[in-house]
Amino acid sequence: MEKIDYTDTGQFCSGHVACAGCAEALAMRVILNEVGTDAVGVVVPSCTAVILGGHPMSSAKIPFLHGTLESAAASAAGVKRALRAMGRDDTTVLCLAGDGGTYDIGLQSLSSAAERNEDILYVCFDNEGYMNTGGQKSSSTPKSATTGSTPLGKTTRKKNLIEILAAHRIPYIATVSPSHLNDMKAKVKKAKGMRGMKVIIVLIPCLPGWGVADNAAVKTARLAVESGVFPLIEVEDGLTYKVAQDEKKHPLDDYLAQQKRYRHLKDDDRAELQADVDASWSRLIGLAAM
Amino acid sequence: MNEQLSPLWTHLSSENRLTGTWRAALPNYQDQPSPCLGACPVNGRIATWIGQVKNGDIHGAFVTLADNNPFPAIAGRICHHPCETACNRVEHDETVGICSLERFVGDAALDQGWAFPAPEEERAQSVAIIGGGPAGLSAAYQLRRQGYAVTLFEASGQLGGLMRHGIPSYRLDRAVLDGEVNRIAAMGIDIRLNAEVMDEAALERLRAEHDAVFLATGASRPKRLPTLDYDQDWIVDSADFLAAPQDEQIARTGAHVVVIGGGSAAMDVARTCRRLGRAVTVLTLEPEGRLPAQKVELDEGAEEGIGFVSAAMLHSASFEGESVTAHCIRVEFQPGAQRGQFRADPVPGSEFTLNADTIIPAIGQDADLARWAELLDANGPVIATAPGWQTSAPGLFAGGDVASMERFVTEAVGMGKEAAHAIAGFLQTGIAAPVPEIAPQVGYDRINPAYQEDHARTHQPVADVVARLASFDEVQEPLTEAQARKEASRCFSCGTCIFCDNCYFYCPDMAITKLEDGGYSVKTDYCKGCGLCVAECPTGSIHMQEDEAR
Repeated sequence: MEKIDYTDTGQFCSGHVACAGCAEALAMRVILNEVGTDAVGVVVPSCTAVILGGHPMSSAKIPFLHGTLESAAASAAGVKRALRAMGRDDTTVLCLAGDGGTYDIGLQSLSSAAERNEDILYVCFDNEGYMNTGGQKSSSTPKSATTGSTPLGKTTRKKNLIEILAAHRIPYIATVSPSHLNDMKAKVKKAKGMRGMKVIIVLIPCLPGWGVADNAAVKTARLAVESGVFPLIEVEDGLTYKVAQDEKKHPLDDYLAQQKRYRHLKDDDRAELQADVDASWSRLIGLAAM
Repeated sequence: MNEQLSPLWTHLSSENRLTGTWRAALPNYQDQPSPCLGACPVNGRIATWIGQVKNGDIHGAFVTLADNNPFPAIAGRICHHPCETACNRVEHDETVGICSLERFVGDAALDQGWAFPAPEEERAQSVAIIGGGPAGLSAAYQLRRQGYAVTLFEASGQLGGLMRHGIPSYRLDRAVLDGEVNRIAAMGIDIRLNAEVMDEAALERLRAEHDAVFLATGASRPKRLPTLDYDQDWIVDSADFLAAPQDEQIARTGAHVVVIGGGSAAMDVARTCRRLGRAVTVLTLEPEGRLPAQKVELDEGAEEGIGFVSAAMLHSASFEGESVTAHCIRVEFQPGAQRGQFRADPVPGSEFTLNADTIIPAIGQDADLARWAELLDANGPVIATAPGWQTSAPGLFAGGDVASMERFVTEAVGMGKEAAHAIAGFLQTGIAAPVPEIAPQVGYDRINPAYQEDHARTHQPVADVVARLASFDEVQEPLTEAQARKEASRCFSCGTCIFCDNCYFYCPDMAITKLEDGGYSVKTDYCKGCGLCVAECPTGSIHMQEDEAR
């Protein structure tokens, strides 16, 4: 087996208040350790902000600015410019937001920062809903998933943020999963070494929000990757697509079966979702072949 | 310094918050037996030594193996390998080739001349062992390594028992047999060859001279079919045939041999006859697919041109003119509750005949119990034993074929090991030590398949059929070291930690500490009890346990 290979230098501390078994804390551990000590963080209201904080305590060793929900990328851009004015050009600015702060409320400031190609590393912890406020749908919630505000299942598709960002032609976009920690580490390292706007989207199976067992976040994330729902990809300069896997190793049903938010689906619904995954997969393979 | 900070700043680490209070269950690192260990007749630590092979530590693998079995090269060739049936990998794709790996380690040990270490301390007490077969040698080895003085009495002129007299060299090379037997003899065992313990008086003398006695005389008397006249020169006993030198085997068999029986001995006779150039038909009571011989023997025998007539029995045989006519009848076969028990009802009107020059019945062997009838209670066809292989005579233990119907070489090795354990307890405390219980074993549901190697099994090469029939050389050829290590990497290591660090890296709370010695500990101050470490453990070596402290 491939051993997990990164060094935990203690940049993320025990005692944080993420739910037991939360994959977001797992991902934060990899990201904060890989980003290292020469970094300043920005975080906006989200699970991440709660996990990092709880005044007067912090679970991160680097300083974090807690900004407003709509201003994640703008705040990070401001911090970067301030650092540059101080002569600290090489200090990484790490911006952490959820899907609500990225796909919905912060999309305008994200788009603006992307258009200006601000030199920030923006990480979106995508748990496909407003899970920190009780589990309402966001524009990242996938079709048919139930949330507190879509009790019969969401009727519209998940917003394709990757293609929105690719249209801005920013240097680097990547998707990572808490089931593939070496891949996550490598992509954070790569992004950290690049100048300009970098966005990494982390899929976070939310234990209460998705109805996943306490010990199954990693398994669920792995099935998301291996069923092709959430392929691990990189997009450079908005044009060059790279997919880490050659094939889908699991039917979508294996992934859906881990989650209560899809429990209401009938066979036809599942077949429709599978067809959608297949179509998206073909489209992605086509983009990667270009 | 903290006083200088504005109250707007966070100035404490979250480590001040002890999230361990959230927990209801705590991960517990505990190596647990693998199913192969539970199935193994000697309860060998298979996951451990296969892990050592995978890591290239072949000597370490030999030491681990030899803890329970001093015959890895022999067992790796002829064991009926219930471990491979029990292997969790069967549910994933195909069993790990445990036997072929055991042979690889055993062969390496013989090639390198690795010896067994001298006992750490010599003990004054002595044990007499009667019978130099797998059970007797196994017990001698286990007792000698604990420092007991061991005297071993063997009726024939050579050690090995059934392994020498019953298993042909194409399955077990004689150099391998000699090598593993001599390695035990070299531990300082007083070996008396051609020293049959004839009667109860002789047995009583040994009991008086030694502190304990282990009786492992095997089962050497062939069962006989009542309808056959064994004085006819065209009827040959299977045990005599297999033990005979090759010129005698040639002299005793005609061009067409009918072998009666479907077990390993029948296959050994049949395949030996094929190597002597004889045409061979095997007649079995059991229907096809239910023959008691190992599948590999049946498959290789069929490749070598043996004809099978299944679900039939020999009614009578007579010499008519030039050849023997075997009168047979089809049967309805029903196995009984225990090994060796069955019912076979003839099907009326299904009579048929087979022509033969020689008939060799190979329908099993009985232990000679009459010799000890006054002293030792019997349990049907074997000596009666209590747990720990104690007979009805104090200080006298019995194991192997004389005391059990589990008639496999490695079962006998396991009985020798258990008896030695019991005898050591008896010598130290006066009470035979009970056979240790095997804890519940790790099931496939505890294995995380995401971390397992996906390559297919590497089988041992098998010699070409034409070459096989031209000699008594071994049929199964060994794995190379590279092949062995590749096959070893397929092992799930069920219940045995491989120190992969998954538990450490998958903990969202940084609550796992890597220890200096390679193990792990849990920080109870922070572990929230989510169980991710257990779920992502590839080997099932951690489990959640209710946290009683709370």
